[in-house]
Amino acid sequence: MTEPTIAGPPVLPDTTVEGPAGARATRPRGRRVPGAWLPVAVLLAALTLLVVIPLLALFGAALENGLGGMWEAVASAWTSIWTSLWSSLGATILAVLAGGAIAFLTERTDVPGRRALRLAMLVAFIVPGYVAAVAWLDAYAPGGLVDDILGIAAPALVGPLGVIMVLAAEAAPITYLVIAAGLVARAEPDLERAARVSGADALTTLRTVTLPLLRPFVAAAAVLAFVLSVTSFGVPAVLGVPAGLTTITTRIYRDLTFSADPESFVRAIGLAITLAVATALLIWVADGLLERRRTEPSGVFGGPLGNGAMASGRRVGGPVPSRFRNRVALAGVVAWMGVGFVVVVPLVALLLTALARAPGLPPVPASWMLENFRAVSGSSTLGALGNSILLAGAAAVGVMALAAAAVSARRGRGGGLVGGALAATFALPGSTLAVAVLLAYGVALRDTLLIILVAYLAKLWAIGYRPLAAGLDGLAADLSWAARVSGADGPTTMRTIVLPLLRPMVVAGGLIVFMFGLHEVTMSSLLYGPGTATLGVVVLNLQQLGAAGQTAALAVLLTLLVALASLPLLGRSGLLERVGWRR
Amino acid sequence: MTAAAPGAALEARGVVVSYGATRALEGLDLDVAAGETLAVLGPSGSGKTTLLYAIAGLLGLEQGRIELAGRLVASPQVDVPPERRPVAMVFQHYGLWPHLSALDTVAYPLRRAGLGADAAARRARELLEQMRVGHLADRRPAQLSGGEQQRVGLARALARQPALFLLDEPTAHLDTALKTELQWELTARMHADGAAAIHATHDVDEALAVADRVALLRDGRIIQSGTPVEVYAQPVDDWAAVLTGPASFVEVDPAGPGWAGPERSSGADRDAEPGRYMVRPDWLRIEGPVKAIVRDVRYRGSHTDYVLATEQGELLLREPGEPRFAAGTATSLRIDRMWRMPEPRP
Repeated sequence: MTEPTIAGPPVLPDTTVEGPAGARATRPRGRRVPGAWLPVAVLLAALTLLVVIPLLALFGAALENGLGGMWEAVASAWTSIWTSLWSSLGATILAVLAGGAIAFLTERTDVPGRRALRLAMLVAFIVPGYVAAVAWLDAYAPGGLVDDILGIAAPALVGPLGVIMVLAAEAAPITYLVIAAGLVARAEPDLERAARVSGADALTTLRTVTLPLLRPFVAAAAVLAFVLSVTSFGVPAVLGVPAGLTTITTRIYRDLTFSADPESFVRAIGLAITLAVATALLIWVADGLLERRRTEPSGVFGGPLGNGAMASGRRVGGPVPSRFRNRVALAGVVAWMGVGFVVVVPLVALLLTALARAPGLPPVPASWMLENFRAVSGSSTLGALGNSILLAGAAAVGVMALAAAAVSARRGRGGGLVGGALAATFALPGSTLAVAVLLAYGVALRDTLLIILVAYLAKLWAIGYRPLAAGLDGLAADLSWAARVSGADGPTTMRTIVLPLLRPMVVAGGLIVFMFGLHEVTMSSLLYGPGTATLGVVVLNLQQLGAAGQTAALAVLLTLLVALASLPLLGRSGLLERVGWRR
Repeated sequence: MTAAAPGAALEARGVVVSYGATRALEGLDLDVAAGETLAVLGPSGSGKTTLLYAIAGLLGLEQGRIELAGRLVASPQVDVPPERRPVAMVFQHYGLWPHLSALDTVAYPLRRAGLGADAAARRARELLEQMRVGHLADRRPAQLSGGEQQRVGLARALARQPALFLLDEPTAHLDTALKTELQWELTARMHADGAAAIHATHDVDEALAVADRVALLRDGRIIQSGTPVEVYAQPVDDWAAVLTGPASFVEVDPAGPGWAGPERSSGADRDAEPGRYMVRPDWLRIEGPVKAIVRDVRYRGSHTDYVLATEQGELLLREPGEPRFAAGTATSLRIDRMWRMPEPRP
């Protein structure tokens, strides 16, 4: 696998690769061709500007304030660190259990509505965390939809319970994707059949074969869920802060935004570094653990998500022995109830709140109106909408250009390092990146869209790079070789064979970046100024003002926009299938 | 679960299995006697794997019933789980667990059968030695070659001591030399164990070489079964003839002028009647009463194949040794034997 892991040994770009598809192959060593230096130069310049300089500024600022002072500042925010830890841990456990169970249902059984279940997980994936948080409030808080209909409410939703639940809901689609990929790529059904005909019953097979084989994937899913939770800003901002719970991310926001005293500023820097170091350490340790056990390439970023493992999976299934049917059907019902509880009911509640004439009215058409939508279509919101679309679009174009440069450069020497550096930027928490970018470019670019774009490019680069690199890995080397022996030189082969074949991946990568850019809030909330607020920022601000109806209306608009952008990805002949994000 | 007492190791009647709308097995009947090796020969997609899965209990029956060693294990109402059926399986893609060493893999069925860890390891080591991979006991599948992996897979099946072995194209992914070696090994080991075996394959040479009896599978049905010699010499139709080896078909009147009939016929009276006959390439000899022109010559090492054009059609002839004629040469041939194709059923 040429996609390097974060902590793994440097992987040479031209090694023979035996992927699940078996079609990976040796990539010819890059011959010296004119113009080959260009992608490398672009890449190095971009990495320096987007990542290296901001990080240097961050650590420089930390050293300036002295390590002792830094330590004190961080220690004074101990409760926030602790809150981040336990809420993320709780969310991780829930997300792995739920995602794993549903993955097992969709990949190992013929549960009714399997396709729809997969789709539901992907829908959950595109709903941003803070929208989910707002939607849960509209659904389950006192005065919410369920309270109106059944008289049941969860007053503890604002507080630890809500934070953990919604963080888990936010992370579950990722754990689902990773574990489903594992079920498809790693544990072939033959291995389980072999256990059954060796005398193991279903449970023993699960214990001795299926789960041990899945362990790297479950571990990777858990690490991703934890990183996602610990770096999440929107969910604790909506459900934690009003209850007095601050996490590292919300504390950085508070220290940077609402406080003028120097100590807060130092604390924000310290917390930003703490967050980055903690996530990096976690990924490094997890990757190391996975590395030691594995006989095939895996690792958090190298394995499950690293290449087209999902694309190559064959559908298993066929007739299930009749003795399972009832249990499978029951499990399917439970899974659908869970999806309804986590995804469907909150989204319906969100829509109804957006339409409601006033809070507390029964959810019938008579009490509906479009006033909330009119109210949020004011000029400031329109401006934010424009900002978000502009930023997301620019990020999509920029990221795909950079990703193409990275993929081209990877064919040369040092290509493995490129992939490693890119994977590392994805692991960099948004809050940390925003603080670093602010320190590096704040003087020159304060309150401009450009400073937000810099952060977006740095953060989303890896997301765009991955499908492209996976696509390249999935491309049989014969195709390039056939072009070379037909008389094409390196760049011509790239232009006439490789890039045309990668076009779906370029489009898919661009759309994914666009989606992430549209609903981004963690970085833009720290970097925005007068006139440069994004949609996510406006939603959060409205929510904090208590304007539930308008918040919901804007959240609905935002979700529709994101859904629209993701439509080509979710379609039946979907791009996601072709780039290996799902089958 | 040692070899069954005299009687059938397997009796399958009217087995129907579907994948959604497509039927993989269509009312299939099959018998395997105790200690017998049955080759199920069929092209890919004919239902070989489905048949083995149904016998093993890896999928359920829609209709019909399956008895193993005299005990009903599958019917639309009955579904004994795989771990309680007296079968062991060898998989086409080996099906070795990547997280277990060869030793642990072979010990696995022994542990499931209730053996202690030490006893299981001892026995597993013996079995690996017998399969001549004892020195690889500590390796994981990724560190083994294809042939070594399949030996481990075979040892795992032997460890189960079943009444019936199910072999799903066990040599399909091995190269020719290894294939032959493992075929001998398989046959020897199965017979030493005294258990019956079903050997699914698409390779006619393998089927004829390993089996006591061969069953031809087409579209989920057994269309012919018999000894290897029977299915080779007396196919029931064209499809079966071509599946079981190279065959030429000619419309002739063996008694008619210009055509010297077979000197040694294959039995029935109607063998002398005019009609459609099949000729295997080894049933022909160069030089004889039938005029022929050499159309094509293929040298195959141990023998040479000639395509010979006669008035009744083209015939494939095989003789030992190197080529004696070039294409275009005029020669003649003699037919030692012909098989009259049965009339197609309406």
